[in-house]
Amino acid sequence: MASSSSGLTFKLHPLVIVNISDHHTRVKSQSQPPTANGFASDATSASSNSPPLSSPRVFGCVIGVQRGRTVEIFNSFELLYDPSTHSLDRSFLEKKQELYKKVFPNFYILGWYSTSADAEESDMHIHKALMDINESPVYVLLNPSINHAQKDLPVTIYESELHVIDGIPQLIFVRSSYTIETVEAERISVDHVAHLKPSDGGSAATQLAAHLTGIHSAIKMLNSRIRVLHHYLNAMQKGEIPYENSLLRQVSSLLRRLPAIESEKFQDDFLMEYNDTLLISYLAMFTDCSSTMNDLVDKINVAFDRHSRRGGRTAFI
Amino acid sequence: MDIEQKQEELIEHFVNQASTFQGSSLATVIIAATSHPSLFAFSEILSVPNVIELQGTEHSIYLDLLRMFAHGTWSEYKSSASILPPFAPDQVLKLKQLTVLTLAETNKVLPYDVLMQELDVVNVRELEDFLINECMYVGIVRGKLDQFRRCFQVQFAAGRDLRPGQLGSMIHTLSNWLSTSDNLLISIQEKIKWADTMSDLDKKHKKEADERMEEVKKALSLKKLQTVSRPTLTSEGTRRCSLNLVE
Repeated sequence: MASSSSGLTFKLHPLVIVNISDHHTRVKSQSQPPTANGFASDATSASSNSPPLSSPRVFGCVIGVQRGRTVEIFNSFELLYDPSTHSLDRSFLEKKQELYKKVFPNFYILGWYSTSADAEESDMHIHKALMDINESPVYVLLNPSINHAQKDLPVTIYESELHVIDGIPQLIFVRSSYTIETVEAERISVDHVAHLKPSDGGSAATQLAAHLTGIHSAIKMLNSRIRVLHHYLNAMQKGEIPYENSLLRQVSSLLRRLPAIESEKFQDDFLMEYNDTLLISYLAMFTDCSSTMNDLVDKINVAFDRHSRRGGRTAFI
Repeated sequence: MDIEQKQEELIEHFVNQASTFQGSSLATVIIAATSHPSLFAFSEILSVPNVIELQGTEHSIYLDLLRMFAHGTWSEYKSSASILPPFAPDQVLKLKQLTVLTLAETNKVLPYDVLMQELDVVNVRELEDFLINECMYVGIVRGKLDQFRRCFQVQFAAGRDLRPGQLGSMIHTLSNWLSTSDNLLISIQEKIKWADTMSDLDKKHKKEADERMEEVKKALSLKKLQTVSRPTLTSEGTRRCSLNLVE
């Protein structure tokens, strides 16, 4: 697959990626029989069910806005794939398109998506079918196999171009690069997913440890960068590297920002907030203790109640 | 950092000019450079060989002028006004801007009185106008003006040209910063370990308490069987006992 030469810039919203992966996960988990859940049945499931084959491909449509040379893909919805005719359900597509038009009048159908490891020949049929809605649709491909070594997203965007191969002009898929564009709401949800807390809510200690680990890695990165600067300045001083004035000016302006927070007002506010937190935790501890004490007293009263007649059944602990 | 980018082309332009001209024409170049509204960096021009040659000649005052702009402040200029050529208003303005930068070097919080004294302004209004229009809009400083406390809190100040000794102190500051962040990293790791050990202790304590409770419960149920076999004093008790024996 060559790389695209059309000069279009693609912007992909995380919502689309989440939609596609959600569609894929749903279909995959629905296609497996319901007995195959729970860890206890792991041993039996391997023998009782057929091992899950390559997960079924899911298809859908992506919609968005095209302004000039920038194509921004905002949203997506699912479509039914008819394996017999190798095409997507047209009437459903049009119905959905109408509905979306009412809510988002600006959005046009920009292309379609599917999940698989690589683009296939049959995809071209679907692509051509969509060409009457949009003369140059985009094909968003999500690779559902999890590859831990891979650092970037398993999402590729393909465009179609007319290339002359063996004397015959043919449409082939060419890869394009894209950037991720986030709206504020999307950023919050992506952030939330990225920082998954331990599922039991965690005791205070595990939450504290997780928070501290985050801070630790951030400071570590800062540390390595300062080390580089330090090394560079040392080399400059020894004369190994010629003076570069503009860089030195930038470094001096950076160093002037240290100490980053130091003023009387900050100290006052900080101490006040620290004292407030300590007071509140003290108060909480008090309340906790007094309620436990109260419970204990109630239990003793019940256990050592002298007013009822229970004869030998009184339990003496 | 954007200041540096803005200045790059200007610096190149002036350096080219300075390397082509000589002697008295260099003076005009220097005056043009020091009056240019967006140029705040002069050390490149200072290092051009033609400019250095000016030292000792009749035009050395221009070299001193350039040095003043690279490292000096407005009050230094006032004290040596006799030796240096008179300033155009552009140059006065630029030197005052550079003075603000130098003041920002040492303190983060600049009181209005100090600023007024250094910049030769009489009232606060003029000072604030100067700071806002000439310094912040140009982009060489960023900060907050606190009128109630009469101070200017600097958050960012563009760098001035380095004096020869400053490189050493910068390296020193950097190494301090490095060691502080190293220590911080170590103490964070210790805190993480502490949090983990504390949670382990807590879990162990809970487990022990639960176990003891279980033991007491078992002891209790044993005891209940024993107390039932004791002779009872009331008929109610007898009835209950017999029921128990049946169970």
